[in-house]
Amino acid sequence: MTSSVSRHLPPGLTLPSLALRALLLVLPCAALALALPERPHVVVVVLVVLCSALWARVPDHLAGAVSLALVVAWWTVHDVLDWRILVVGVLLLAAHVVATLLSYGPDALAVDPRLARLWLARGLLALVPLPVTWLALRGLDADLAPPWLWMTAAVATGLLLAVTSRLMQAEGHDGLLSDVGRAARTSGPGAQ
Amino acid sequence: MNTWRPTPSLVRACLLALVGIAGGVVAGLDVLVVLAAPFVVLGVMGLLGRPRHVPEVRTLIDHHRLHEGQGTASRLDITDLAGVEHVTRVAAPAPHVATRPTYGAAGSLVADGLPILEFSPRRWGRRVIGAERVALTSTWAGWRCGPADMPEHGLSVLPQSTPYDSRAEVPQPDGLVGRHRSRRIGSGTEFEGIRPFATGDRLKRINWPVSLRTGELHVITTRAEQDAGVWLVVDGLRDIGVSGGIDGAASTLDLTVRAAAALAEHHVRTGDRVGLLVIASDGARVRLGAGARHLHRLQGTLARVRTESRSVPPDRLDLGAGAGSVVYVLSPMLFTPLVTATASLQRSGASVVVIDTLGERAGSTDRLALSTLAARMQQVERDDRLQQLAALGCPVVPWRGPGTLDTVLHQLARRAQVPKVRAR
Repeated sequence: MTSSVSRHLPPGLTLPSLALRALLLVLPCAALALALPERPHVVVVVLVVLCSALWARVPDHLAGAVSLALVVAWWTVHDVLDWRILVVGVLLLAAHVVATLLSYGPDALAVDPRLARLWLARGLLALVPLPVTWLALRGLDADLAPPWLWMTAAVATGLLLAVTSRLMQAEGHDGLLSDVGRAARTSGPGAQ
Repeated sequence: MNTWRPTPSLVRACLLALVGIAGGVVAGLDVLVVLAAPFVVLGVMGLLGRPRHVPEVRTLIDHHRLHEGQGTASRLDITDLAGVEHVTRVAAPAPHVATRPTYGAAGSLVADGLPILEFSPRRWGRRVIGAERVALTSTWAGWRCGPADMPEHGLSVLPQSTPYDSRAEVPQPDGLVGRHRSRRIGSGTEFEGIRPFATGDRLKRINWPVSLRTGELHVITTRAEQDAGVWLVVDGLRDIGVSGGIDGAASTLDLTVRAAAALAEHHVRTGDRVGLLVIASDGARVRLGAGARHLHRLQGTLARVRTESRSVPPDRLDLGAGAGSVVYVLSPMLFTPLVTATASLQRSGASVVVIDTLGERAGSTDRLALSTLAARMQQVERDDRLQQLAALGCPVVPWRGPGTLDTVLHQLARRAQVPKVRAR
């Protein structure tokens, strides 16, 4: 079974890579399918499926952004702010992370487990604002909120992100530099 | 490598984040804000991860001279890794070069060490490796430098020395020192016999047990040990068959070159002087010599043998080989002029051995196909030529590796002791 599948794959494409590409096709479609029993317009469905398929074929393709934007636009237009939005957010972010993971190299590049774990952690980190924003918007009555609240919220969010990223960047650089020094010592020609 | 450019992943995250924030704040679209929130994190982190310097990248290979089947590694040398998180390299496929990873694509996090590509040439000759593209990616996959094309490296691949050994001595050793037993008696260590003492014999050669038993002085006689001149004539006029490298089928040129390398190594290690004549469009000639450095020179010359369709066989083999030299002609013997030249060399007094390097060729299953008929006709003509050559006293043996030449050399050695008339 496995060998028969491998025969039909492009040269160098491994099964983990194929599985990730299949996820890339499925995830945006699943995000749209959460709308059932309400049926999205057939044009939207066809476009999402086609763009996702193209995205799965070429993870760097602009079709990925189009596919995500279509799904986001559909949910925005229908203004559904229930639990399904959280699932849609997770699915879309997962698709983006999978595409990023696949875009590090050509088809023949095997998926690096360490890199996959790193991006899994990053994906979880990126998910943190999702429930926070959802809870905030669910509990907030936009009509009763004072006008400065939106601006304050936007500035506060921006500041928080900047401070967080700055802190993470400094930590990352220190760690990275020490790792590079170690890597250079161990991987040099004379190291063996 | 001239600049850092945003990756498609960063562009996608920034687009979704910007549209979401703008739509949420301006139009009050709650859902858009919720769905865009994770992409804000990814976009901001990616943007902030832009490295400040453009690093210089070059590739280095561990070896520039290998035997076929051996391997070498290609390593990266990057000047400034600050801000670089991941390195990807993809090597272009090269004929007769195996790569690890199999498809030449390797990538790793910088923290785990720079990715290494391993190359193993599977066929002798001049190979080119290291033509590859390298891309560097910043943290959070925000920025990418490259892919940049790296220059290729030339690799001189020496033929594999197939295991070869021979216990036979060369027929007519003519040098001063060596490991072959001389035809003349001398001060060697090889026992020849015991005879009565004669004036001039050294006292240390007296065999006292025999002298006491017979009542007359007897001395031990020994043979001197000499080296020999060995010429290798390599036919590089045509290459019949498809070479699969050391792992697959061998073409005629593969067999020829590997057999020549094995014979050269054997005779140089034995202490003989070995010379080489390559018959090809850009033929080469290496004079008789001995030692490890000379062996490297021979192997390097063999690695440069190339066939061209415009090559023409020579009318005569001008080796300058003396009567004591042994000449191995390694050839599939497909050209009449080469057969004639070999016969002329045989008549001039050299001990010539033809090593047939055509090998086993699987023909087409269709016996009436045009190509099959042509091959059979050529085979018939070739067999006829080889029979004529054998009738002249020139042995023809197919190359079979170790022990291929033992019987033939024993016969030549016996023949060398028989008086003969030499044609000039």
